This record gives sequence, structure tokens and C-alpha cells, in this order.
Amino acid sequence: MSLVARHLERNGIATIIMGAAKDIVEHAGVPRFLFSDFPLGNAAGKPHEPDTQAFTLDLALKVLQSAPGPRTTVQSPLRWSEDGDWKLDYSNVARMSADEVARRRAEFDKAKQTALGQRQKAGAT
Amino acid sequence: MADSHIFAPDHDAPVEYMRRTRDYYLALGYDNPYRWAHYTDAPFQPLTRALADSTVALITTAAPFQPDKGDQGPGAAYNAAAKFYTVYSGDTAVDHDTRIAHIGYDRKHTTATDSNTWFPLPLMRRFANEGRFRLAPRFHGAPTNRSQRVTLETDAPEILARCRQDQVDAALLVPT
Repeated sequence: MSLVARHLERNGIATIIMGAAKDIVEHAGVPRFLFSDFPLGNAAGKPHEPDTQAFTLDLALKVLQSAPGPRTTVQSPLRWSEDGDWKLDYSNVARMSADEVARRRAEFDKAKQTALGQRQKAGAT
Repeated sequence: MADSHIFAPDHDAPVEYMRRTRDYYLALGYDNPYRWAHYTDAPFQPLTRALADSTVALITTAAPFQPDKGDQGPGAAYNAAAKFYTVYSGDTAVDHDTRIAHIGYDRKHTTATDSNTWFPLPLMRRFANEGRFRLAPRFHGAPTNRSQRVTLETDAPEILARCRQDQVDAALLVPT
């Protein structure tokens, strides 16, 4: 998505990314980025909370209008939960048993095969 | 109120997804790590007119719900079959059922029961009705097929072309 933002921006369209993966978006280098420190999947606000969703879109529009230059990151002040312990869970091998790692490996192999088949079907290889 | 000397825990900082993902796949036995896109510069195009007079397009990585492509959540496991491989567009005047089962989102802490957290089209329509900006007639879906070459050479130019057709001034991109 960062690549799309860069391409649009370079061709005259101002962009703002709403995202939750701070390191990945900043590593790519984008014009404007509203970062919400939330689990992946909630870049536009918290589920079933129209207020936090409206707050997030409003802030994104402010960043779109007022960013002084490229690589502007603004971090939303909203918190996902009182503590930040959810951050320890995502793909964290230190928190997985050997069985869990083996199960995920099998799952990943299967998903990769499916994606490869799809890609070939779509002629996108 | 003054700052206290009791600091937040060190782990309560933005997750290092690149490091976490590299370590994860190494532990699974894959030692050919994914290279994330990386540039040292970034382009910048200021808005050329007031936001209220600007046409804004939504760009999403969410997929249209495809009933024949298996479980797409809420709570669905990663479903590569639900991926899409070419840019798609939708009419912003009506509602759409979009899903994120084809993406590696946080399946423990995200229930994926409210599409407004990844596809804010209804809210954008409301803001547009309030005169905050003009909503582009179409939104666009960007494939997440992990081929950066395809993104650069095919998908990004296609999205640009469609935005130009709609005379878009600004884009809100919401990756999942």
C-alpha cells in the first residue's frame, strides 16, 4: 500500500495512509501517515466504536491538510486497551510451544500452495 | 499534571512487525526472509485546493466477500483463496461487504466483526455529506499478492489511472 501511496503522490495526488504497522510503513517511506497503535485490522478505529472511528478519520484529514513535508507521521492518542500486553502476542515465537510452531508451519505451507495456484490461475506470476 | 518517574513498560511501544515476522518465519524453518519495500526518500504533493473542494478516494486492501471462496470471517483463519490479483473498484454511493480474511491481521486481538475498522466508506460518505470533502464516485481495491514488482508496474499505475478518471485530488489508503 505504501508503494501505491508513493506512486499516486508522485503523480499529483496527495495521500494519507491510515495504518497500524508503524515500522513497515515508515521503512517504505510515505508522504503522510496516521499511525494508530492498535492490533492489525483496526487502522480506521476501534470495532463498534463510531466515536473512535470518526476521531481517526478526522485526524487523518487534518494530517492530509497540514503535513509540512514527506514522511510526516502522526500517532493517534487513542489506546487499544489500558495495558499494552496485546503487543506481545502477534507472531511471537517466544510465546509458542514446539507443537504450535509445527502446526503453523503446516498451515503456512498449505496457504502458500493455495496462493501459488491462485496466482497462476490469475496469470500474475 | 507532571510526568511521573514510573514509566510505561518497555514492550508497550509500536510492535516491530518486520523483526517479529522475520523471527517467526525463521522459527518455522524458512530462511529466505521477505524484503519489505524500503526507500530513503518520499514524494510530496500538497493539496492543491481546500479539502472541502477536493475529491477524495478510498483505497483499500480489503477484498469483496466471495461466497465460493471459503470462510472469510469474522474469526476465519488466514484464507489465501480469498485473495484478489487485479485492482477492483466499487460504487461509493452504496454499501459493500468487504473482508480481510486474506490478510495477516491480528487474529487474536481483532475479531473482524466491524468492517468500519478497515473499510471506512460509510463514515467517509457521512463526512462528505457534511461538506468536509467530496467523495470520489469509486473506491479501489489494491491486491496484496506480495509481488512488489506487480504492485509497482501494474497495480499502482492502474489505481492512478482510475483515480485520474474520477478527477481525484487526494487518496485515503487503509492497509490491513
